[in-house]
Amino acid sequence: MNAFVIAATALIVLIAPLLFFAALTRPIDGAVALSLVGTLATLATLCLAEGLHRSFSYTVAVVAAVMTVISTLVFARFLGRWL
Amino acid sequence: MTNVIVDILLVLGVLGEVICVAGVLVKRTTMDRLHFLGASTTVPAFFFLAAVICREHVSAGGLQAIAAVALLFLFFPVALLALGRAVRQIDLGDVRPRPEERVES
Repeated sequence: MNAFVIAATALIVLIAPLLFFAALTRPIDGAVALSLVGTLATLATLCLAEGLHRSFSYTVAVVAAVMTVISTLVFARFLGRWL
Repeated sequence: MTNVIVDILLVLGVLGEVICVAGVLVKRTTMDRLHFLGASTTVPAFFFLAAVICREHVSAGGLQAIAAVALLFLFFPVALLALGRAVRQIDLGDVRPRPEERVES
């Protein structure tokens, strides 16, 4: 276990309180928390790709970054329109 | 020496993300939470990118890491702005500034 894997583990652990928060608070605050989860997941994937020496996993990080932005836009659009 | 630099960069990155998560969890208003959400894609993300580049240099993996962090850094503010507009729409019923918020030109 190297430093990158430890850092990825720490980032994944940080996701848990955000998921609890998203489940318990009002929807727009949950969307904020889920956007932060997307950012953390992207960086965790980046660290895992380097730590585990899986070069193809960098592509997963790029896709996760794109999907984080798109999902945040979709959440904002629909929450702003219907709540 | 490189290992020490990588360790320091990773610790700084994780600490930055811990601060951002704490800010989102603790702050009282949604607008305050948005500040910490935006910060998570700037300084801490670049610490992680620097750590990866220290190891990978400018290889295929390094370039893809640059692409991932650059996408977050450049395009996440757009999503953040949309979230801010949604918050105003929900809390105030309108995204336009209220009379007391108008700035004299």
